[in-house]
Amino acid sequence: MPLENAVLTTDNCRYCLMCRHVCPVGHVTRLETLTPHGWGLLISSKQRGLIDWTDSAVDKLYTCADCGTCQSHCVTDQPLPSAIAEARAEVAELGLAPANLYSLNEAISRWGNPYAESEPDAVTGTGEVALFVGDDARYLWPDGLKAALTLLRAVGMDPVLIGAGRNSGYLPSSLGFPETARRLARANLDDLQASQATTLLTLNPGDTYAFRKLYSERLGIDFPANVAIKEVTTLLAEHLGAGTLTLRRAGGGPPHAYVDPAHTVRVADRDAAPRQLLAAVMPAPAVELFWRRERSHPAGSTSLRFANPMIAEHLTYARLGDARESGAQLLFCEDAGTLSALSSKAPRFGLTIRGLYELLAEQLV
Amino acid sequence: MNRNEFRSEMIRSELEDIVGQHFVSVDESDKLVYSTDWSWMPQMWLDRGQPLPTPDYIVHPDSAEQIAEIMDIANKYRIPVVPWGGGSGTQGGALPLFGGILLDTKRMDKIIEIDEVSLKVTAQAGINGEQLEWALHEKGLMLPHYAAASRCATLGGYLAPRGTGTISTKYGKAEDMVLNMQIVLPTGEIIRTAPVPQHAAGPDWPRLFLGAEGTFGVITEATMRLDYLPEARLMRAVLFTDLSKALEAGRLIMTRRLHPFVIRLYDPESTRSQVKKVLGLDYEGAYMVMGFDGDPDIAALEEQKALAICTGLGGQDVGRAPGEAWWEHRYDFYYPPLSLHLPWMYGTTETVTTYDKIEPLYWAVKRAVEEGFPEWDIKFIAHFSHWFHWGVMCYSRFIIEEPPADAQEALQLHNRVWQAAMQAVIDNGGMINEHHGIGLKLGRYMRQQYGDAWPFMLRLKKMIDPNGIMNPGKVGFGF
Ligand SMILES: Cc1cc2nc3c(=O)[nH]c(=O)nc-3n(C[C@H](O)[C@H](O)[C@H](O)COP(=O)(O)OP(=O)(O)OC[C@H]3O[C@@H](n4cnc5c(N)ncnc54)[C@H](O)[C@@H]3O)c2cc1C
Ligand code: SF4
Ligand code: SF4
Repeated sequence: MPLENAVLTTDNCRYCLMCRHVCPVGHVTRLETLTPHGWGLLISSKQRGLIDWTDSAVDKLYTCADCGTCQSHCVTDQPLPSAIAEARAEVAELGLAPANLYSLNEAISRWGNPYAESEPDAVTGTGEVALFVGDDARYLWPDGLKAALTLLRAVGMDPVLIGAGRNSGYLPSSLGFPETARRLARANLDDLQASQATTLLTLNPGDTYAFRKLYSERLGIDFPANVAIKEVTTLLAEHLGAGTLTLRRAGGGPPHAYVDPAHTVRVADRDAAPRQLLAAVMPAPAVELFWRRERSHPAGSTSLRFANPMIAEHLTYARLGDARESGAQLLFCEDAGTLSALSSKAPRFGLTIRGLYELLAEQLV
Repeated sequence: MNRNEFRSEMIRSELEDIVGQHFVSVDESDKLVYSTDWSWMPQMWLDRGQPLPTPDYIVHPDSAEQIAEIMDIANKYRIPVVPWGGGSGTQGGALPLFGGILLDTKRMDKIIEIDEVSLKVTAQAGINGEQLEWALHEKGLMLPHYAAASRCATLGGYLAPRGTGTISTKYGKAEDMVLNMQIVLPTGEIIRTAPVPQHAAGPDWPRLFLGAEGTFGVITEATMRLDYLPEARLMRAVLFTDLSKALEAGRLIMTRRLHPFVIRLYDPESTRSQVKKVLGLDYEGAYMVMGFDGDPDIAALEEQKALAICTGLGGQDVGRAPGEAWWEHRYDFYYPPLSLHLPWMYGTTETVTTYDKIEPLYWAVKRAVEEGFPEWDIKFIAHFSHWFHWGVMCYSRFIIEEPPADAQEALQLHNRVWQAAMQAVIDNGGMINEHHGIGLKLGRYMRQQYGDAWPFMLRLKKMIDPNGIMNPGKVGFGF
């Protein structure tokens, strides 16, 4: 995104309070500085010479979760998260970003992911349908990927796997390293081209958002116009509706809820499908969390887990606290990052976390 | 370490002992962000690269007891305590003019009880308006204070400046919805008002805290009356060529005791500019939106009667769609860049008066603003949006799109326009404010507004807050 737009956006946001109430970071910290208006004001104040990028100001800048909730609630669609990423890029360029992020960026740049010193899997074969695996599903929650593939086979699909072990590009873009992000994006699009697919399936809304919007809006890279993007849950729900996917109902269990994955708010109309799938197999209706659907808040699974792990943890606690208050004891989600964040802290809330894809695969008829 | 630094560290450590280290900030970027609320003056200074007075400590208490202890510190060291809810006030009410403790109430955001029998909610004062509303909606209820600020304001911030929401015409002002409150006085005492407001057990002293804007203490909890979410909301728009006839229609609707939940009448200039820009409706004349809610049959009948009054006075019924468009997009006006924004100069010179005075008042303010500053290409727009049985509120605004570049000059011009508008208000029997409050901006007009009663109000302040620690410089009370 050109800097000029970032300035316009932060100048718009600096005194606007209309989306502060949905900002998850503002909600857990209660600090005005850590809200959309606060970040807008910090960045615009830097431009006006009122502050310097001191360690503490940089720390604040790096505490936005880049979750998109503000923009999705903005009547005038101000791309504040992108403007914050742009400001981070400037800070990173000046060598002022938090020190650990530079080594993280190097690792991502080298390996395509922050988790393992291992190259992404090469694309094998071609086909009409590809599935973007990414890094979280590959390293954080591999059982979910296996189950998703079982489900896809059950509806007659055997997708070509692409980007297995490679981040979509969201992570470095969010941390202020757009060049690394562009490199990953191009590599993913090369994989896509090699697969010859005309439909790209994604495992979570974060990846859907990256391909549909982030590439073009933040990185200036066009996603091929002839390739349709669809989430696996949306596809499965269509098959369920059409009678081409049959699922058994599970036996009794404790009250349960669905946790909307990070970035849900960035993808229109995606929140019904996972609920339909869950409702098809669970014996009782799910309870709904307070922070759900178009106002859903992420667990600490976004770029924040690297930029500010402590606040990221608080986001995870907030999701678990919300679930506990709703009366749910068992939580489902299909997003590897969210599942991994939630399950690391769930025991202390007396909650059980389960992958939605695994549940559905078990209930296949 | 010099004396000031020593003292400052003492205060900080004592505050940390009360609320915990995480909840006291002296960080420079936090201070910058808390140095401005939503009022034009501080925003203008920052826009022009000029730093503002900042709080010394930003403190996030989580209980009335903690606030009481904070008051003890403030009294001991004689430093200000400035309550801060959402910081969405437009009058500079939450500005930390003299430094001290900025008391952010947002950690106090619990819903304590929703009573579905008596239709009331008890909540802590720092709860965000929209989040409270979402929780009530889950039970089919609403707190009918639908302020455009609901997304940014807190419950305490609804009450402290006596706010008014978009559906006040049927449901009343925020203050009308209060059943009782818990308050921490400047002396550190925690008090509760009587459980219900309508009784005859002595004077109505709790109302002193409504409109005090944090100068009499901190509202920490409130029990508010609720309503069921209406079964139907019928919206309708009527177009008048004559503003005078439109005002008369509004008066008749109200005095004949019909119950619109909203009547919003835009003056011709507002219709031409705001309504067109935000709603895309291209009308000449005065665009009036009316809404009736509740039981669908009763709402439809009331709407029919109101419509007859309007058409009888020459209003043209333009149907539901333009009314529904307003309801759907009623808050869009507040999102930048659709909203007023810097470097423009603007001010909301809203007022309220009785029906006999409203039209002359509107014209007097309009003339004072438009004719007083022709060299600045000043725009004056107004709408009439909160209707009572006895009168109506006029929400007028002035806008200068190219104000002086020099900050001091800009401030002087701002003051002069306000002065012209407020003088016209006072001369024509209006109140200097209906719902944004007094804050810093209007304090200077309080003596004139209240005349002989003002010294009494000053004595009240002295009695309630003997050391003058609470929100100094606001509501005309000085330091
Ligand atoms: C976009 C926008 C739209 C608006 N629309 C409306 C509207 O429709 N109707 C309306 O009435 N107002 C409106 N306002 C004005 C303003 O938002 C309201 O007055 C709002 O209720 C203030 O709430 P707050 O929590 O932000 O208070 P703040 O701005 O934080 O504080 C306002 C004043 O109250 C004091 N205060 C805050 N909390 C407490 C407390 N717990 N105890 C004691 N004192 C306290 C502060 O010290 C300050 O003096 C609007 C403002 C904006 C920015
Ligand atoms: S994103 Fe939109 S709603 Fe949020 S602060 Fe910016 S302009 Fe306001
Ligand atoms: S992206 Fe998320 S965390 Fe960042 S300002 Fe927007 S809502 Fe808040």
